[in-house]
Amino acid sequence: MKRLLCAFLLGAFAFIFSAHCQAQAIVIANPSVKAADVSKSELRDVFTGAVSSLKDGSHVTPVLLKGGAANDEFLTSYVGKNDTAFRASWRSLVFSGQATMPKSLDSEAAMVDYVAHNAGAIGYITSATPHEGVKVLSVR
Amino acid sequence: MNRLFVGAMALALGTIPAAAQSLDDLNIQIHGYATQGFLYTTQNNIFTTNSSNGSPAWTEAVINVSAQPTPKLRIGVQARYFLLGNFGNAITLDWAAADYKASDKFGVRFGKVKTPSGLFNEIQDIDPGYIWSLLPQGIYPITSRNSILSHYGGVIYGTLDLQTAGKLEYRGWAGERVLARDDGYFLASEETGTDFPSGYKQIVDGAALHWRTPLHGLMLGASLQHDNQSDNPLTLTIPELGVMSATSRGNASDSPQWFGKFETSKFMLAGEYSRQPLYIVTAIPDVITEIGREDNRSWYGMASYKLTDKLTAGVYHTQFIDKAVNDTLTSGTNRYSKDWVLSGRYDFNEFLYAKAEQHFIDGTGLGYDIDLNPNGLQPDTKLTIFKIGVSF
Repeated sequence: MKRLLCAFLLGAFAFIFSAHCQAQAIVIANPSVKAADVSKSELRDVFTGAVSSLKDGSHVTPVLLKGGAANDEFLTSYVGKNDTAFRASWRSLVFSGQATMPKSLDSEAAMVDYVAHNAGAIGYITSATPHEGVKVLSVR
Repeated sequence: MNRLFVGAMALALGTIPAAAQSLDDLNIQIHGYATQGFLYTTQNNIFTTNSSNGSPAWTEAVINVSAQPTPKLRIGVQARYFLLGNFGNAITLDWAAADYKASDKFGVRFGKVKTPSGLFNEIQDIDPGYIWSLLPQGIYPITSRNSILSHYGGVIYGTLDLQTAGKLEYRGWAGERVLARDDGYFLASEETGTDFPSGYKQIVDGAALHWRTPLHGLMLGASLQHDNQSDNPLTLTIPELGVMSATSRGNASDSPQWFGKFETSKFMLAGEYSRQPLYIVTAIPDVITEIGREDNRSWYGMASYKLTDKLTAGVYHTQFIDKAVNDTLTSGTNRYSKDWVLSGRYDFNEFLYAKAEQHFIDGTGLGYDIDLNPNGLQPDTKLTIFKIGVSF
């Protein structure tokens, strides 16, 4: 019985840990972006439309995923909003003429491809997704 | 024409979600939303609806087209169909503007632009953007909303980095504000025989500061709008004399607003105080000169909490008083309006949401007209609102 319980707990731990690892979001940017790292508050400001450049002067354009684990993880950890609230706040900016809705992409592969080919683009993916052609920004 | 527009909106809302994604090559985006509200009041009819019998006469639909040909330049236009009781039932231009953002520190927007006064003015008509069905009516009156939302002219804006002291957002604006002939602001005077055949035009300018403090989520701000002196023609219908031509001179005045907001991922707390003085001299040459004075003062405090990812609940209390009337009258419920509000919003998904709201209104200073309350007004009313909205 004890073995069964231990096996169950180990299995549950492995499942939770692997799910957590899969959802680990990393921030990627076009190689034209000079910065090597970015602070949480900069990310929040960029992805809520408050600013369009990083502190080192790099002009950046946020790019979103339409959904998925990386999207949820990124919005919760760095923007502090769930997907519905996040998009509602962007709609307020769009309908009041203050901003244009960021591009939303269907998949992480499409995100990598778009960020790699558009100067200033900044986005996010899970760490396991291949990401040649983009630079990874560490988050301070 | 209106039906055609609403039909087109419905079609768009039903079929376009995928197309709302920007058209890649041209950076063109199309967005929109539509809402349908239902009002029920226990006593007085409110907002020119037959709300004491239950009224569905509250419909809005918005379509927005924008393009961003370069990273710093945006152009856009937004049209709106608005119906609330006897108000609106027309398509109007919300805004049409070009926006050049040279850097985070400086940008300029011109055309017909949203006036960035107060905490909510720029977004007060954007129903998908907040939990409330009705914003505090002393500051953001829905019956006169379209006229105070925007002006023909420009806005400059920017964000200054104050390092450890946070960030300072500034906005400055100037232009002409146009209140349409059928604006809700004129309803009471229109029902007693005063008509502004060309509407009411006034040059305005103002500035606003939003200090994003080092305490994450806390913003404190203030705005000041200056209304310049204006002269507008009007007609007065006077028993025994008939229809007389007259002029209305609005003296220059300043309208300050102070506000603050604290927001976390689940919790929001906000408050605002507003003062709007008015001094208008109406004259029929050699016949009569009449002075109208208002000193409108309003405040509110509000809080909301996200109970789940889909469900948000909120409460606010607001008070309005016309101090000019209050100083001359010692009794009467038309001197003030006080409102306790309970609100809820449920987001079914990214596109579809529903709202429910209960108001406990004390006083008759806001929201009522004579024609739909021919037997006079009761001192208090309970207002129930249900609303459903879709956006893309």
